[in-house]
Amino acid sequence: MTELETMRRWLADFRTAVERKTADLDAEQLARRAVPPSTLSLLGLVRHLAQLEHHWFRRVLQQHPEETQLFVVDGDWESQFDGAVADPAVVEEAFATWRETCAQADSWLDGLPTEALDVVIGPGDRIESIRDVFIQVLQEYARHLGHMDLLRESIDGRTGV
Amino acid sequence: MSEDPRDYRATHGERDTVLTYLRNYRLTFEMKCAGLDAEQLAARSVPPSTMSLLGLVRHLAKVEHSWNRRVLQEDLDLPRLYWAEDQEDLDFDGAVADEAVVADAWESWRREVAAADAWLAAEEDWGRQVPVHGEPTEVRDIAVHLVEEYARHCGHADLLRECIDGRTGQ
Repeated sequence: MTELETMRRWLADFRTAVERKTADLDAEQLARRAVPPSTLSLLGLVRHLAQLEHHWFRRVLQQHPEETQLFVVDGDWESQFDGAVADPAVVEEAFATWRETCAQADSWLDGLPTEALDVVIGPGDRIESIRDVFIQVLQEYARHLGHMDLLRESIDGRTGV
Repeated sequence: MSEDPRDYRATHGERDTVLTYLRNYRLTFEMKCAGLDAEQLAARSVPPSTMSLLGLVRHLAKVEHSWNRRVLQEDLDLPRLYWAEDQEDLDFDGAVADEAVVADAWESWRREVAAADAWLAAEEDWGRQVPVHGEPTEVRDIAVHLVEEYARHCGHADLLRECIDGRTGQ
């Protein structure tokens, strides 16, 4: 497997894990801040992951910085989490948007040759190449899945990857 | 908090990038555990989860040891750390509020981190395949897996720590 294929398989696995961690819950459970004093909720994290995918794969790698950050209202980053309220319409919007951004990222990634990982996008920056972006996205997913693990267990006891 | 010890320079190529992330995540994990006493480290602060920061130290020592010594060095007969046939969760279940248990956990973790670092740095071919659950698996896959495993456990540590003393970030 090439390096790019390895990374894409990890990304696909993490997205599937997010689906599992959020399955079979109602709007109230998804929006619950189940581990106080933390303000995190599963729904807030899904909105945040949509923002993450869109920011890195669309705004940065596909060079559309003019598109507004998803679920960020008036430049307030906390609105991703604060706006994650127990409303079925908010839930539907969050999941539809997240899945859409994933599909959009995938269709772009499908056209990427493996050697593109070395392509420099921000010279001199910590996130300098497409590889850096990929690892950044993967480790953010993994860390947020750690949050989801404990949120889900606190909601209904469900554990597992 | 003293100066952030993590490495934020731009990285180049697969090995440099993945190994820098791994080192940074180990540091992040240490930072999440800093400044706590044995009781706080052993606290199961997000019930009903049986996780604690101390349990995670032991678990990550086991993870480093298992991937490095058992899998990469192909010695699957070597017993796992903090594990027994009838006690698969010994890493978490044995993480009790005792200074000696804390000292032992950190000593194991630091020893296994150093050993894994030395081995990974010397791995020339990340396309080399080793068996994992009977499946041929490339070194690169294991290296990325280690980063993701640390990241996920740092997610656990985020919430455990916030519930212990309110500290967030890093």
